[in-house]
Amino acid sequence: MSGAAAAGRKGIGTRAAHGLLLLAFCALLFAVTRAVPEVHGGLWTITAIGFLLLAGTLTSEAIEPLGLPHLTGYLVAGIAAGPYVLRLLDEHTVKSLSPVNTLALSLIALAGGAELDLATVRREARRLAWASLVQCMLVLVLMGGLFFAARPIIPFTRSLPTTALVGVALLWGALAVTRSPSATLGILSQTRAQGPLATFTLAFVMASDVVVVVLVATAMSIARPLIDPSASFSPDAFVALGHSLFGSVALGTTLGLVIAAYLKLVNRQMLVVLLVLGFGASTVLDYLQFDALLTFMVAGFIVRNMSKQGHKFLACIEQTGNVVYVVFFATAGADLDVPLLRGLWPVALVLAGARSLVTWGGSLIAGRLSGDPPVLRRWSWSGLVSQAGLALGLSTIVAREFPSIGTPFRALAVATVAINEMVGPVLFKLALDRAGETERREAVSLASIRPGPG
Amino acid sequence: MNAVLLLTGLLVLAYLGSFLVSGRTVRGAGLPSGIEYVALGFVLGPQALDLVAGDTLASFEPVVHVALGWLAFSVGLDFGFSGERRVSAGSLVLGTLSSLLTGGAVATATWFVLRRLHVDVTPVERLLLAGGVGTACSETTRHAVRWVVDRHGASGPLAVRLDEVAHADDFLPLLAVAVLFALEPAGNVATRVPLRDWPAITVGLGLLLGGGAALLARSELRLEDTWGVLFGVTLMAVGTSARLGLSTLTAAFFAGIAVSLFSRHRRELRAMVGPTERPVLLPALLLAGARIDLHMSPALPWIAATAIGTRLVAKVIVGWMLATSSRSARKGGLLVGLSLMSSGGLAVCIGLAFALRFPGIVGDTVLAIAVLSATAGEFIGPVRLRRALRAAGEIGEAEAASPAPGRVAA
Repeated sequence: MSGAAAAGRKGIGTRAAHGLLLLAFCALLFAVTRAVPEVHGGLWTITAIGFLLLAGTLTSEAIEPLGLPHLTGYLVAGIAAGPYVLRLLDEHTVKSLSPVNTLALSLIALAGGAELDLATVRREARRLAWASLVQCMLVLVLMGGLFFAARPIIPFTRSLPTTALVGVALLWGALAVTRSPSATLGILSQTRAQGPLATFTLAFVMASDVVVVVLVATAMSIARPLIDPSASFSPDAFVALGHSLFGSVALGTTLGLVIAAYLKLVNRQMLVVLLVLGFGASTVLDYLQFDALLTFMVAGFIVRNMSKQGHKFLACIEQTGNVVYVVFFATAGADLDVPLLRGLWPVALVLAGARSLVTWGGSLIAGRLSGDPPVLRRWSWSGLVSQAGLALGLSTIVAREFPSIGTPFRALAVATVAINEMVGPVLFKLALDRAGETERREAVSLASIRPGPG
Repeated sequence: MNAVLLLTGLLVLAYLGSFLVSGRTVRGAGLPSGIEYVALGFVLGPQALDLVAGDTLASFEPVVHVALGWLAFSVGLDFGFSGERRVSAGSLVLGTLSSLLTGGAVATATWFVLRRLHVDVTPVERLLLAGGVGTACSETTRHAVRWVVDRHGASGPLAVRLDEVAHADDFLPLLAVAVLFALEPAGNVATRVPLRDWPAITVGLGLLLGGGAALLARSELRLEDTWGVLFGVTLMAVGTSARLGLSTLTAAFFAGIAVSLFSRHRRELRAMVGPTERPVLLPALLLAGARIDLHMSPALPWIAATAIGTRLVAKVIVGWMLATSSRSARKGGLLVGLSLMSSGGLAVCIGLAFALRFPGIVGDTVLAIAVLSATAGEFIGPVRLRRALRAAGEIGEAEAASPAPGRVAA
């Protein structure tokens, strides 16, 4: 039964029951946190994961009739439960969810790589090249320029000298180029969309990960002497970047080959194997300072394209799908600094809106240059609006590397990413629906399981 | 051994455990109770080689809680059924009586031994210790009979009856855990609740969460969403009950029962959850073994001997009760009740739950005796079961003479 069919069959009674259940779960958590206040530790983190899984699933079901993506429901559930709204989960608990988030991100990256088909990438190479070039350059230059021009409305930039402002604007422009692989994959996982828009967006967003990492490192090297006159341009950063990128690709390739060999020779209990990989490899990658997202993405890509095990692997990954996305996005929602967004929303809205406009313009230009079909010319920008963990991670690095502007820069980045995180998935889902690419594949439902004997 | 290495080791163990699910891949390896994994944990733990330090074990407590909760949820989902067959009302009554008689007798005997030996515990602790030992010794592992039946190709009314009784005796021990945990409420609870209400709250919590999951499963969720709901419900049951100082095992067990009762997809859910049981159980058994401290009390050998001896006598009496209601059981011989001596995963899980909730002499003693009882059951249960089935004519001579390999069972 397809998701749409199921959604269509869900009447008002079912929706009302879901609403009541959501209230009941919230009430239960509220009562327990009030009955036993101030308890921290691993067990409450576990409760938080459980609650976010349930609340995220129920909220996504509740907003489904509005045509909104499930991701939005997960985010809303996280925001509502988080430390700034209902306070069912406090800041400490939300922070303690980060290892689970790391695991979720590694699984998402594996899925992303495994979804990339080499033949498709080759076929789309010209289109991807034009789109990457135009989107990167246009967003970098125009968003950097806009940030520079918006100096009067961005408080922390007013006191900066012009050279420093150019440097900060360059960093902002580089940050604006980042996309969200997790949001793209989350939407594609929910809608099971197939078609040119889905294929293009996936390939573009995955490829842009590498581009963005290089771009941000370059921007930071150039911006450093501009922001801090005592610093000088250093090529060391590029050496470290090269080490990280090549190391990530090499390790990802090895990991991919190992997974492919396992699938061919054993092919059992992939879920446990994925957990081992997620926890074990993430720890190793952290120690080696390699890019986890890139490593897992390459591993997935290798399994898909350098072996015949790709479809088996995708089927295994899809089993983990919802749990991973709910935890990842609901945690992101709970982690959202609502007071910060409340304070910065006018500036953030201007910057986020401008980024969407520039992305739209960029897709028109790139589409014309590469001769895109009408559906891509019309909608290809929609999947590029979302930003999430990657942008936040890079903003944290920028904040750490440039302490003089770090805190307000990151705050503005968080506020802008929050808007893109909320709006982006809605736009992409809408575009996929309009392009007629959703609901072509049937989702596996509970009723399709065949119980074994005894 | 650091935490990441231990976690990886546990995941590898879970992986190996998953191969034992069907019993075909490595048939011939393992014991019905899975006690060898407890032994491995003991050897690696602080009491022997000290490869897994005490503080590392402490950092794994949340993982252990989740594992126990998931196992209890799985047991609840399967409660009242043996495979796809519903357990008969007679077996349900007999199973409940069996656990009541065995657990009650063991608890009473333990209480008297504690008093006689002047073990340095408060009256509440004595009650907790005696009750904990009683609950941990009261059940028969659900898969012990299936293990012998599968191995020796037995079939007949006695095999069915024993299998059903073993499947029906988990209810009371898990309910008793909730009652015992309520005797010493968590000190940090801000709301004042009468002691008698805590067990009801534990059960209500499980039923509420399980009922919610059943309601959600009715609305034709996608398979991935269903996993999310089952995980979510179990984690919430575990986390909220632990925060309140209640029995996580009981809350998760009743959540499983509620899902089974209220969902029309019980069979499908069971097919989903069943294969995960052993991969979760083995790491839990290993961690239980690592926590065992056999030197925590000089009275331990006496308490253990009393508990195991009383359990033995109680099981013989259960066998007589069985014989009065079943002709096939009468054919099994006078000691047919000893066929139900095997205990395993659930008993050790109860012991581990006590060790987590009441660290010190109470928890450590209950865990140690749960393990010792399962070990003793390993020597008696399968042998007596084969003998009883052979006497009842439900197993051939050739098969009965063959060695006794097996599978790990909860």
